[in-house]
Amino acid sequence: MNFNLSSSPHVRNAKSTRSIMWDVNLALLPATAFGVYRFGIHALLILLISIATAVLCEFCYQKITHKEVLISDGSAVLTGLLLGLNMPPSVPLWIPVLGSAFAIIFVKQFFGGLGKNFMNPALGGRCFLLISFTSIMSTFTVDGVAGSTPLAKLAAGETTDLLDMFLGYTGGVIGEVSVLAILCGAVYLLVKKIISWYIPVCYLVTFALFMFLFGGFNPQFVLAHLLGGGLMLGAWFMATDYVTSPVSKKGKVIFGILLGILTGVFRLYGATAEGVSYAIIFSNLLVPLIERISMPKAFGLEKVKKEKPVKAAEEVKEEKAEKANDAPKAPVSLKTYHAALNLTVIALVLGGLLGTVYQLTKGPIEYAKQQEELAAYKEVSPDAKTFDEATDLVAAINDEYANGGISAGAFGNVKLDSAYIAKGSSKETIGYVVNVTTSDGFGGDISLSIGVDANGSITGIAFLTINETAGLGMNAKNESFYSQYIGKNVDLFTVTKSGSSSDSEIDALSGATITSKAVTNAVNAALYIADKAE
Amino acid sequence: MSLATFRGGVHPYDGKELTKDKAITRLMPKGELVFPVSQHIGAPATPVVKKGDAVLMGQIIAEAGGFVSSNIISSVSGTVKAVEPRLTPSGAKVNSIIIENDGQYTPVEGLGTKRDYKNMTKEEIIDAVKAAGIVGLGGAGFPTHVKLMPKDPSKIDYIIVNGAECEPYLTSDYRVMMETPERLVEGLKIMLSLFDNAKGVIAIENNKPEAIEKLTELVKDEEKIEVCPLKTKYPQGGERNMVYAVTGRRLNSRLLPADLGCIVDNVDTVVAIQMAVSETTPLMRRIVTVTGSAVNEPSNFEVKIGSSFAEVIEAAGGLKEGTKKVIAGGPMMGMALSSVDVPMVKTSSAVTAFLVDDVEVCKESPCIRCGRCVDACPSHLMPLMLMDAAEACDDEKFVALNGMECYECGSCAFVCPAHRPLTQGFKQMRQLVAAKRRKK
Repeated sequence: MNFNLSSSPHVRNAKSTRSIMWDVNLALLPATAFGVYRFGIHALLILLISIATAVLCEFCYQKITHKEVLISDGSAVLTGLLLGLNMPPSVPLWIPVLGSAFAIIFVKQFFGGLGKNFMNPALGGRCFLLISFTSIMSTFTVDGVAGSTPLAKLAAGETTDLLDMFLGYTGGVIGEVSVLAILCGAVYLLVKKIISWYIPVCYLVTFALFMFLFGGFNPQFVLAHLLGGGLMLGAWFMATDYVTSPVSKKGKVIFGILLGILTGVFRLYGATAEGVSYAIIFSNLLVPLIERISMPKAFGLEKVKKEKPVKAAEEVKEEKAEKANDAPKAPVSLKTYHAALNLTVIALVLGGLLGTVYQLTKGPIEYAKQQEELAAYKEVSPDAKTFDEATDLVAAINDEYANGGISAGAFGNVKLDSAYIAKGSSKETIGYVVNVTTSDGFGGDISLSIGVDANGSITGIAFLTINETAGLGMNAKNESFYSQYIGKNVDLFTVTKSGSSSDSEIDALSGATITSKAVTNAVNAALYIADKAE
Repeated sequence: MSLATFRGGVHPYDGKELTKDKAITRLMPKGELVFPVSQHIGAPATPVVKKGDAVLMGQIIAEAGGFVSSNIISSVSGTVKAVEPRLTPSGAKVNSIIIENDGQYTPVEGLGTKRDYKNMTKEEIIDAVKAAGIVGLGGAGFPTHVKLMPKDPSKIDYIIVNGAECEPYLTSDYRVMMETPERLVEGLKIMLSLFDNAKGVIAIENNKPEAIEKLTELVKDEEKIEVCPLKTKYPQGGERNMVYAVTGRRLNSRLLPADLGCIVDNVDTVVAIQMAVSETTPLMRRIVTVTGSAVNEPSNFEVKIGSSFAEVIEAAGGLKEGTKKVIAGGPMMGMALSSVDVPMVKTSSAVTAFLVDDVEVCKESPCIRCGRCVDACPSHLMPLMLMDAAEACDDEKFVALNGMECYECGSCAFVCPAHRPLTQGFKQMRQLVAAKRRKK
């Protein structure tokens, strides 16, 4: 008889790389399902395309490089799924293609494939997209309406509904909105012992503490930050990625703490509302270092030093001779806690630096922004030399607004952002610049800057923000459309589809009546406001 | 109360229900028996018989070849057919004494004489153990009389009887505890009589509640003996883990249990001591579990040392069609056999045979750094890093990462989801490092 020969052990655990990867995919199912339910078929398409691209790229790379094709291990599917879940629900479909290809080829395969990548491929892909296509990747639409994410609201000082955030009725990327769905998956992973609690719990606790201490001792604020954005998805599904996190318990604790601090710093002081992705990939890079300092001490070698004095001189001598042979070298004897402290200090210093840079650049950035706005005002009020902020006017209108004035529906959903008095060369008032935002557009908010002269004639119109349908509503930006208002002195413009027959009638943009009406209403509001000022 | 245990370890399927309730039956060998001169740690024994000599049962046929060595005893009476190298379970050819069994079992003079250890001096007891050729029957085969002669016997305060039997599928120790607990306790008392400051602890994993109960009952009037239940976890029976679980003391690769005041012996070894001292019967037999999915009638046997594996397997109903693997020992630390025509030696605790070979089925894939090996390692090493060193054949790095602290329990390789042959890599590195050190 011929028996198999191999070295012991002769039995193997049932858990394999493949079963683990598919379990993680399964654990993401609740979040995926909720995302699709909430954001619709386009979200599903994004996910499918993201996964398909990831698998295809892995397959092609392994074929081309004559490596074993390992797509059935589920790791490419996982990367694709995670990346898809990290996309806003309205991105064009070439975005997931690009992101997945980058994640698989550049972040994963170029570094040696499964197990060798130094940063989480899905997050690598996401950050690549975030940096390259910032506006696409940070526009969040729900039911066709662009809205801000809870974190953006928090950053703007607004409050958020915690229950909605927990359940997922907020804006955000496909997979992050429902904390409940994410936690369901996390519990599955914990129960199946695929992840341990060390990283996520240390991460969340550190983050909460950081936000409490540096965010104004406000539990409500901390809670909103815990529930908001990619924190839960990141903490349970991406920070716990085996390949890019430390292997020892101690290392996992250090890693979690580092993540908590970095995310806190990024969210509180960073330029963007979100910080989880950057915190994780930055910490990924520090894993080899964490690994060094968190190496467990070999059993039985922990107390070698302590025992020395009690030993007879001869034994010590013997031991020394032996030690010369197989001395447990530096990595093991490093003082872990000391190193952990160092790491914390480094993280804090880095965070401080980041904050400082932000503070330093804040001034210049705002100045540049002001210059930009000034240029827009000059455009709509070409004769003016200087602009003074019309604070009284804004206050008066806002008062009225609060009492149901211009919001009563006369001009639709129009809001006054700011107003300026345009002054001529000898400081005389020659007109007004009114900045308004209407939310009646087809593609969300439209912000305009409108110039009105002292007589009530329109001197110019500039669009500050507009996200209308290209080729239709977007044509409002064409001079042929907005020049219809300029130079006219009427009390109220109306929109017509049957050809303008008077100064007050504006020809609607073809196929974009909603946009035309929204813009016209905004102009009417500006006229009304300017009239109030006189 | 939380049970005594250690940090790390794994929970493989234990398969013990196959043979747990199978009483030990005695097997009488036919034909020739093979006695390799090296069945223990230390120097090989020196044959004292030659071809054509007649030998009696219980006769010393090879004498200890040094301080750390052991006598070899003939387990049958008959004629020496040859002294020549034969294949052993370890896969090596070892010089062996081959005896043709005459089937008479004629005992050597004095065999089986009852003695009372209380009337014997410590030296007499140790000499009896030494003459009986007793070695650690748990698997390592360290000569027992050497363990009983530490530098300073007064510093020994624990004698631990290792009844963990953490190796999956094995039930031989369990059967010994169930069937001859009196011998076990008397053996322990003999050992305790050698060390004035020691207390005896019988440590048993809590998956053997009947054994715990039985022995607890038996030692309830013994002042110096207690039963210590242990958490069921592989490798609870590893010497370092056992000493830690019972005493909290930490051994390493450079310390013997005696350095920390402990003597650890396997259940069957303690019974062998009892037989040698109280009944003047040297080590001629051992208890063997024959089990696994490929064995027709899994059983526990009392086997004459020197019998062939083939004979023992035959006694258990033979192997099933399509047997993939036969292992001398258990599935975690045993050795795969290429042939069953090898002799049962002192350390042959079991024969396990499987229809499915996990090692063959599970394909190796890249490490995904899941850290399971780190959690499983009872020596608190970083197997994934050691494997990098092993793959690069970098013995300096291997030593720096404390690779020599590995005792090849197999937990890391068992638990690895990428099915990397971690333990195999470490075995090779450890041999390489040991060989280099010997050269110096």
